[in-house]
Amino acid sequence: MNAKERVINQLLGKEVDRPACYSGMGNVTTAGLEQFGYKFARVHGDAKMMADTAASSHKLFGFECAIVPYDLCLEAEAIGCVMNPYEQVDQLLYPTIKEKVCHSEDEMETFPIPDDVASRGRVPLVCEAIRLLQADIGSEVAIGTYVLGPFTLAGQLMDLNDLFKLSFKSPAKVNAMLDRLSEATIKIARALRDAGADYICIREMGATTDVLSPKVFQKVIFPHLKKVRDALADVPTILHICGGTNKIMNILKDVGCNAISVETKNDLAKSREDIGYEPLLFGNVDAYNILVTAAPEDVEKAVLAALEGSCDSIWPSCDIWPTAPIENLKAMTETVKKYGAEKWVRKNR
Amino acid sequence: MSNEKEILQKLRDGVVEYDNDMVIEASNEALAQGIDAEKAIFDGLVAGIEEIGRLYELEEIFVPEMLLAADAMYAGLNILKPHMEKKGDGGTKGHVIMGVVQGDVHDIGKNIVKMMFDVAGFEVHDLGRDVPLEDFIEEQLNTNSDLVCLSAMMTTTMVGMPEIIRKLKEKNPKVKIMIGGAPVNENLASQWGADGYAKDANNAGCY
Repeated sequence: MNAKERVINQLLGKEVDRPACYSGMGNVTTAGLEQFGYKFARVHGDAKMMADTAASSHKLFGFECAIVPYDLCLEAEAIGCVMNPYEQVDQLLYPTIKEKVCHSEDEMETFPIPDDVASRGRVPLVCEAIRLLQADIGSEVAIGTYVLGPFTLAGQLMDLNDLFKLSFKSPAKVNAMLDRLSEATIKIARALRDAGADYICIREMGATTDVLSPKVFQKVIFPHLKKVRDALADVPTILHICGGTNKIMNILKDVGCNAISVETKNDLAKSREDIGYEPLLFGNVDAYNILVTAAPEDVEKAVLAALEGSCDSIWPSCDIWPTAPIENLKAMTETVKKYGAEKWVRKNR
Repeated sequence: MSNEKEILQKLRDGVVEYDNDMVIEASNEALAQGIDAEKAIFDGLVAGIEEIGRLYELEEIFVPEMLLAADAMYAGLNILKPHMEKKGDGGTKGHVIMGVVQGDVHDIGKNIVKMMFDVAGFEVHDLGRDVPLEDFIEEQLNTNSDLVCLSAMMTTTMVGMPEIIRKLKEKNPKVKIMIGGAPVNENLASQWGADGYAKDANNAGCY
């Protein structure tokens, strides 16, 4: 069973030999960039550079997937925002949105969303990167991609302070905007699927319960995640939420994605109490405090803890921070390979 | 004086109930009744914000509610602050520089911490979000601020913090630096040479 079969079969609920070690979030590394002599700020705008570096994670440390893109601006840019790739900055920075399209509460229901959003901005470029990856390593590893959840996307299109306040004060208004945005997300996700993505991670990172109450999550976040997921029934999806998620595990389960990915703050045992052992749960190796700054032995410990905590595949808890040492990333994939089958809670219960 | 007590209670309740109009009305009443502006701010508005902080820690309310309470508090502060008697030392407890580091456009946490410094009587130099390293250093040199607060909401941007801390300390070894934001923790703060770490806005105010 190769990596691709392992990843896809598990997502589809079929038998696999062990948990996989992969991700649904950015997987580029500085080592991968250096290998090709690419500058991070330029990779986002070039399909070949994107595909080369995404594939390098499999080649350098045995990651069982390749993922594009690396930034979080794809949808906002396609809708009409302007992105800043920080080309003039020496240090490594992820792109951000510098010009928003919705400037006031009144514009929430009126700002235009282009019908052909899936062929705008860099969507075609990321589709091309997916095709290049499928041709390069697609027979061995799974090729994944991600889209933002509608709420997180809304936070890039308008002032986030206002969005938060309105989600409490005028949920109907926010729901109307998110409903429109979920259509755009669905179109873009379908384009990425049609380009050959084996799975799609839905990242609703702006809506953690560190900032929003479970009540608002249920009322304002959940319906749109559900809508996106239901429209993507023909491709495996994984729902990833950052921060504390224990209070909303049941809501996440109801979204109905093929798997749920949680980060380090999640108490895995408590999660299983809430949602049982049936749903696939991925996670939750700290992407910075373990993968970047700790030693390989600590990585091994963290991976074992995630396995023993009932993770069905091992995912970093966020984008891999590019400077993560290759020894650490190797320790992560090697530990899963070595102990995954033996420690897999699903098989040992 | 029961009237004073009622007005202070109304200021507090207005903040806790996110009711800007109630706070504005009570602030004007306080001035009309000759209540000391500083007393109205601290025993009214700040008391409300403290209650909000308590409810936030209990996870009874979340960030949207806190932002709404902050709006109500500022609605009162804008009316009352001009009437505060200047203190001997120029009326401020000190200067604070705040900003969200470059690459990060999430400023909610920073705004809430800013509010705590505002009500505590500090003069806040707010650099906003996505702030390049050089701007922190330049502003520190220009204002000679005692404290610089750095915020980052994402793992991908907090890694720029050690560099800013190093450069700030190089230019002015006496400057105190406090860091905060979702991915930051106490260990990282000490590892990177920061003087303080604030888990949330309540703790930042105590610093």
